[in-house]
This record gives sequence, structure tokens and C-alpha cells, in this order.
Amino acid sequence: MIIFEDVTKRYPGGTVAVRDLTLEVPTGEISVFVGPSGCGKTTSLRMINRMIEPTEGRVLLDGRDVREIDPPTLRRGIGYVIQHGGLFPHRRVLDNIATVPYLLGWDRRRARRRARELMERVGLDDELADRYPFQLSGGQQQRVGVARALAADPPVLLMDEPFSAVDPVVRAGLQDELLRLQAELRKTIVFVTHDIDEAIKLGDRVAVLREGGRLAQYATPAELLAAPADDFVRAFLGRDRGIRLLSFLPAAELPLRRDLVVAQGDPAPAGADWVVVVDADRRPLGWRAAGNGRLAGYGAYRADRDSLRAALDAALLSPCGAAIALDEDGRVAGVVTRDALDAALARAAADAHRDAAPAAGRSGEGAG
Amino acid sequence: MRPDEPLIRWDWIGRNRSMILELLVDNIVMGLLPVLFGLLLALPIGLACSRWRVLYQPASGLLNVVYALPSLALFIVLIPVTGLAERATVIIPLTCYALAVLVPAVVDGLRSVPDHVRQAAEAMGFTPLRRLVQVELPIAVPVVLAGMRVATVSGISLVSVGALIGRGGLGGLFVTGWQLRFPTPIIVGVVLVVLLAVTADGLLVLAGRLLTPWARARREAGEAA
Repeated sequence: MIIFEDVTKRYPGGTVAVRDLTLEVPTGEISVFVGPSGCGKTTSLRMINRMIEPTEGRVLLDGRDVREIDPPTLRRGIGYVIQHGGLFPHRRVLDNIATVPYLLGWDRRRARRRARELMERVGLDDELADRYPFQLSGGQQQRVGVARALAADPPVLLMDEPFSAVDPVVRAGLQDELLRLQAELRKTIVFVTHDIDEAIKLGDRVAVLREGGRLAQYATPAELLAAPADDFVRAFLGRDRGIRLLSFLPAAELPLRRDLVVAQGDPAPAGADWVVVVDADRRPLGWRAAGNGRLAGYGAYRADRDSLRAALDAALLSPCGAAIALDEDGRVAGVVTRDALDAALARAAADAHRDAAPAAGRSGEGAG
Repeated sequence: MRPDEPLIRWDWIGRNRSMILELLVDNIVMGLLPVLFGLLLALPIGLACSRWRVLYQPASGLLNVVYALPSLALFIVLIPVTGLAERATVIIPLTCYALAVLVPAVVDGLRSVPDHVRQAAEAMGFTPLRRLVQVELPIAVPVVLAGMRVATVSGISLVSVGALIGRGGLGGLFVTGWQLRFPTPIIVGVVLVVLLAVTADGLLVLAGRLLTPWARARREAGEAA
């Protein structure tokens, strides 16, 4: 656990980069610091590994003030991924990854074996091991950066806008990869970004900082969307908060109608205007209207893992406003009618408002 | 020069082979030692200048003034100290010239280390000394080598001026040729100086390729782009 206790960073000119920051970064979770430029998010991050020292207050790492620990020793125990990768141009990929093990005095063989393991773990082809960073794509460089940060298996990982220099498609891939890795590794990650969507996608908790280094809100992404602490956070979150909130609500509880699923050529049950037609393997073929043999297109979601947002999206892509639910094998599990979806959305809205009510008047340290 | 004098008399070269070889070696030593001494001095000075930026302007100003001093004047000033026709009298001014080229090269080389690389090294837990030796200096090598190429080539050819005080390596051949109104030594001298400079430069380029394969990757990608 990392704890910021009344941390302020003031520069000689009088600029305050961080003001009275108090928050806890729980062990094994991703906490994202997000905010516009000049909000002190990178400064806060760098106070954890003493690249910057606070003017007031203290930063505790597992109960110990980081200022009691010699910086190189402290830093070798904390992984760091920097924007643009920060890879050493004169070292091959493998030796870049093995940097911290070398610093810790591991023998060369062991360090390189560990580096190879990590290459596989972050999805880098083995044949890249002997390349120089310059010979890699932006996405590959970032993967090397992540592998390097993980090389000595540090419990804490600091990531400073690691994905902001790559194109959106690659970025989305790297984000998914990070979430997959984190599910296995359970590191304590502090992630800095200026991209609120990235923050909401990756964060177990999100700290929204504003200019002048003040914490505006520290909460889970769902809480943030449902109940922004003030106008600044609301504006920063941007549009479609309600729809985006649905991403955090599982679709698993939606009631499924199995009677509206028929095999090809079978009649629709009495009173049904639309049915889903499936093949012999129960995979969806399309929607069929009563009294019409033609199949219309459809939208579908995975009932076991998707969110209400995916279910709503699937409904909007169907001619009748109902969504097809699939099981983990991609077979049709049932149909969610428009009424059932309406009811679920109404419940979600009511829940969001109930959760929001106590937090609505609060600002500052968030509803966590 | 007599009108019937040929441009080159091969028999003269054959007869004076050992003298030419001696001058060649002298030229190599007096041309390369200043670059070596210059590098040894430029490293700490350059490091200090990039560590304390305020030093750089005065230091490079001073070095430029030294660079502007005529070499002959420096030789003459040094003669009472180091002696006439001594290697040191030539090597010391040439070291100053090498320094004027190499200090900026070291400073620029260290500046060529990208900020994010330096910060990453710090964040990984490099101590400042280790970061300098293992990260910053290796990355500075291509820029420093470029400076060394200039210093080496100009050093090798500047040695000739030493002939005016009796110690100029192959430059001695120019004086001989001029005094005897005899072109062969002059041509031999010019050809050897140029060959020497080109060879030394080629060796430095080769050393660069071997020392910094990662920079070659960059060069090739730059050419391909």
C-alpha cells in the first residue's frame, strides 16, 4: 500500500505542483492519476520513488516513509514505465529488459533467462531479443518498457503516460494486455494519464487532479461516472456519463427468454412478433418477423462477461430492440426483451442516484 | 625550379625511404597524441560543462580564442619552455586545438542523450556514476567520435606547420622541397599527409561501427526513410 499524507510540492519560484494530497493506493490494484497538464500527476508519481521530494508531508510505502530508503535501492524495487519507453538505445532488447536484474547483481545468465520469460509474458516475439530499440515499432517498444519494469518482479509499478505516444489501435491493445497481465500479477500500480477514458478503462480507482495540484475526486470509475464531485470532474469526464456507467454493470442478471429462440423452419410461439432463428448448433442466424420468412441482422452480447452497455448496444442493433444473449461458446442462451432491458436500465439509474445522493454535496477526497 | 625538372623523381624517393618513414611516424605520433590527450581532457571538462551549464559558455569562449591563435605564434611562445624542434612544442598547441573541437563534442554528445532515457535510468535505480558510465557516455559515443574525426584529420595536417620550427613531421618535406626548388618531396609529403588523414578517419569510422552498432541501425533506418 502506498499512502500520501498531506503531501505538498512547492517549487522555489512559488509554483505549487501538488497541494495537500492525501490518498491511499491499495495493494494489488491499479490507481490512476488523471488530470489536465499542470495538475501535478507526474510530480505525485515521482514522489513515490523519490525522483521528486515533497516539500511537506510524506509518502509511505508499506508503512515506511520513502525518504528513509536510499533512492537507488528504493527504485530498484519499484518498476517504472515512462512515456516514449525510455529504452536504452545502445542496449539490445534482452539487455534492456534485464537492466534492473543487472543492477541488483544477478549473474548474466539468470538475468537474461528472466528477460526471455518476460518477453513471452508481454507478448514479444523471441526473435526480437537481439534487436536494438530503434528497430522496434512503437507498440513493441512499450512492451519492452513494461517487461523491463517487471524484470525484477517488483511489487509496485509506476507508469507515467506509458501508452500516450502510440496510435489508438495499438494503445487499446496495450491497455488490454496490461489488464490481462495485472489479472495474473496483482501488482500495486500507479498509472498516470491525461486521458480520462484510459483512466476509466484501467483504473480500479481513479484520482482526478486539477490545475494547481489539488485532488478533485478519488473514487472507483463507476462512482466517478455516477457521482462526479463537482463541475470540474463532471466537465473532465465529458459526455455520455450515463451510457459509460453501464459498462460497469454486469449483464449477467438480465432475464433471458428461451421461448423466443427457434430452429430454422420452426414456427414462432403464439403472440411473438419476432423470434431469433438459430442453426443446428444453436448459433444465431438472425431475427425473423411474424409472417415473414426473411432474416434480419442482429446484435448479440456475451451474457457471462459483458456489461449492460453491451446488452443495450446489441438491442439497438436488432430490428425489434431486443438483444441476443450468447453463452461462453457463442451459442444463443436466450433473448432479452425490450421490456426486460428497460427495467434493468431503470434499476441501474435508480441505484446510481441512490449511491450518488450522499456523495453529491461532497468534494475533495472522494467517495471511497 | 628548373624547366626540365620532372614533377616526381622516383629515385629520390627510393634513396630517402628511411628518412620519409621516420617523418611519417613522427607525423603520426604528433598528429594523434594531441587527439588522445585532448579526449582525456575534454571528457572531464565536457562533463563539468554539461553538469554545470553556466560553465559551458565561458569555457567554449575561451577554447575558441585558443583555437583562433595562430599555431606558429604558440610554437614560438613555447620554444623557451619545451625547446626548439621538440615534439612537445608541437603537441601542446595541437592538444589545445583538439580540445576546442572535443569539448563541444562531449557536451553535445551528452546532450544527445534523450531526457526520457536519462529519467528512465534514474528511475531504474542507477547511481549517478553508473548512469554516466553505462548509459550517458555510451550514448554520447557517436557524437564524440564525429568530433574526434575532425580533430584527427585537422591534427594530422596541422603537424606540418611545425616544420617552421624544425619539427613538422612530413611538413619537413615541404621545407626541403621549397629550399631546393625541387617538387618531389613536396608531392610525397602532400600525398602521405592526405593518405594518413584518410586512413585515420577510416579507422575511426570503422571503430564507430564496431563500438556503436545501435547507431548504425539508426543510420540505416535514416537512409531508408
